[in-house]
Amino acid sequence: MSRPKKIVLIGHFGVGKTSLIRRFVENTFTKDYKVTIGVHISKKEIHIKGDTPLTLVIWDLEGLDDITKMRTSYLLGTNGFIYVFDLSRPVTYENLEAELEYLKTNYPNTPTKVVGNKMDLVNKAFIEENNGIFTPFVDYYVSAKLGSRVETLFTKLAEALI
Amino acid sequence: MLEFYKASQNEKFQYIIVDNTGTIKESDNGIFSIDNHKRLQEVHPFFEIFTELLVIPNETYEFSCINLNFETQNLVVDISVKTQDNSSIVIIENLTKHYNNYQLAAQGRNESIINSQIIELKNEYLLEKEKFKNNFIANFSHELRNPLTASLIFGNLLSESALNAEQKGYLNIIKSANSDLKQKIEDILDIAKIESGKLALNTSVFSLKAMLQDIVTQHKTLATNKQLEFVSNFDTKLPEFAEGDAYRIKQIFDSLLANAIDFTNSGRISLHVSLNYTRAQKANLQVKVIDTGCGIAPKHHDTIFERFMKIEPDAQSHNGSGLGLAIVKYLITEMGGTIRLDSSLNEGSTFTCNFNVKISSYNSSLKHELLDKQTPERSEKQHILLLEDSELMQLTLLKILAATGQFYVSIISKGEDLISNIIDKDVDLILSSNTIQGFSIADLTTAIRSLPREYKKTPVIALSTEAYKQDIKRFKKAGVTDVIIKPFDEQTLLERINKALK
Ligand SMILES: Nc1nc2c(ncn2[C@@H]2O[C@H](COP(=O)(O)OP(=O)(O)O)[C@@H](O)[C@H]2O)c(=O)[nH]1
Ligand SMILES: [Mg+2]
Repeated sequence: MSRPKKIVLIGHFGVGKTSLIRRFVENTFTKDYKVTIGVHISKKEIHIKGDTPLTLVIWDLEGLDDITKMRTSYLLGTNGFIYVFDLSRPVTYENLEAELEYLKTNYPNTPTKVVGNKMDLVNKAFIEENNGIFTPFVDYYVSAKLGSRVETLFTKLAEALI
Repeated sequence: MLEFYKASQNEKFQYIIVDNTGTIKESDNGIFSIDNHKRLQEVHPFFEIFTELLVIPNETYEFSCINLNFETQNLVVDISVKTQDNSSIVIIENLTKHYNNYQLAAQGRNESIINSQIIELKNEYLLEKEKFKNNFIANFSHELRNPLTASLIFGNLLSESALNAEQKGYLNIIKSANSDLKQKIEDILDIAKIESGKLALNTSVFSLKAMLQDIVTQHKTLATNKQLEFVSNFDTKLPEFAEGDAYRIKQIFDSLLANAIDFTNSGRISLHVSLNYTRAQKANLQVKVIDTGCGIAPKHHDTIFERFMKIEPDAQSHNGSGLGLAIVKYLITEMGGTIRLDSSLNEGSTFTCNFNVKISSYNSSLKHELLDKQTPERSEKQHILLLEDSELMQLTLLKILAATGQFYVSIISKGEDLISNIIDKDVDLILSSNTIQGFSIADLTTAIRSLPREYKKTPVIALSTEAYKQDIKRFKKAGVTDVIIKPFDEQTLLERINKALK
């Protein structure tokens, strides 16, 4: 069995990082918001391609509105990133391109998935209207609330790690 | 005493010695207890990264604000690690209390930031909705213009034919309903323009005297029809010519007087216009419209100038969509003035307003124009080319133009036939709807203006459903000679055609 893989979730506060992890690890959701401070770490064993077991260690970081202010010690040994933004709040994706660029330069060769969360709050037309902003960067539109594409997100990232 | 403090201090730290695979060799269990020989990685998933860290000797790592959730307790700690060749030391500092306070502060701050962003989003959404409403109103009102124009014009034509008394009575009702409808559409369009910030004043020189005379003639007739006395009183110091938006100024008078006549069943309507003061080439006019009608209770005085407000909503006999006063108030405010209402129930109402116009020095060319308005004598008939794809409008226009005996008219309904017709026939004037399928009047006019010299100057009058200033500007820029807004009456049409032919 290969070593556990460390996945770090980043993005502004309130975008649903904690909720996505909850959905993935415990398959639950709450609409109450509890601000994450520092970091919470959880673990989940999954099976990927041809039943290979893999342990994911998931780091849920405190939300920041400036990615460059992240505590770098949290990122030691990171194998993959999930960058989350909130489809219902433009401030959370205003600097999408720059933030992703920052990750790419500072953590090259680290697989990254970009997701727009809270898909349940917007409609298709909204996504189409904002095509230009989203399409070049976004891997999945997800909803922690409905659980849509959450499993796929983590599994696909995990597959990219081995 | 000291021992007590030391003990409590001890609970703040935990020292753990591990080998370079993470297996615990020693722990003082100052914060939580762990079994020796277990691997740290099994204690909490945080320590999983130690697998990589511990194999590199002589390094120091600091981790702050790590949430360690155990079954029995939730801790928030800082952790530092010093690695050595074979064994490393891990120091955990319990800062749960400190971080919990920080969490509370962050909770309040983040929640309020997110809430304000949601409110912003809601506002944006409301603005979008408002915009949609205004566009909808504007578009729909435009749709009403063509049928209404036909109805107005045929009503007028019908009244010139031989009718018996009963028929005349019916026709008058139709005509008055038509003009009501026209007024309402105009009011709604004005409100939509006001709300979308598109209502701008168009300043030009006009004869204030002539305007006031027009107003008196028009409203005196209406008042007399209702057996009301109509008195007017104009300050002799009023400037003869003024600069301002004549159309909108007349609208203010019309609206106030129409209201007064509407809400009064017996007695008198008075109109007083005086000069408040003149300052820096600006005249401040005061207008008073006094009626002896049903009056307005004081509790309504605050809201009467608001949109969609109407006193006595069940009063069937009263006209007015309730938009008139809101528009008047807006126009007066735009002209740097104020409006006030004095009234109490059953004692009549007095509307007093003042606004600024610019004083214009005597302008002979304007006077000339005013005198010259009459239909000129013409020796031969002029040729009008009518481009219009609505059959109803074709018929309507043909009727009016033919009735004058002054023109002969050719009709085409396709934009692509325009240029060949101009060249083949000897056209004096082009009259065109602005909404010919597949063409815009602006583009067609641009094409005409680039024809050889003998054709390119042919005047073009656009009959437009677009009443917005920027549309009219666009037409004029393309070389359109004049724009007549639908619905129009025959007199306006003929006047403007004659003006363009000169
Ligand atoms: N409607 C909806 N709300 C969500 C979704 N994901 C998270 N939320 C809500 O968004 C708020 C912030 O979520 P949280 O996971 O704490 O965000 P974090 O700060 O990025 O960890 C909470 O009130 C969640 O209930 C989602 O997919 N749909
Ligand atoms: Mg969180």
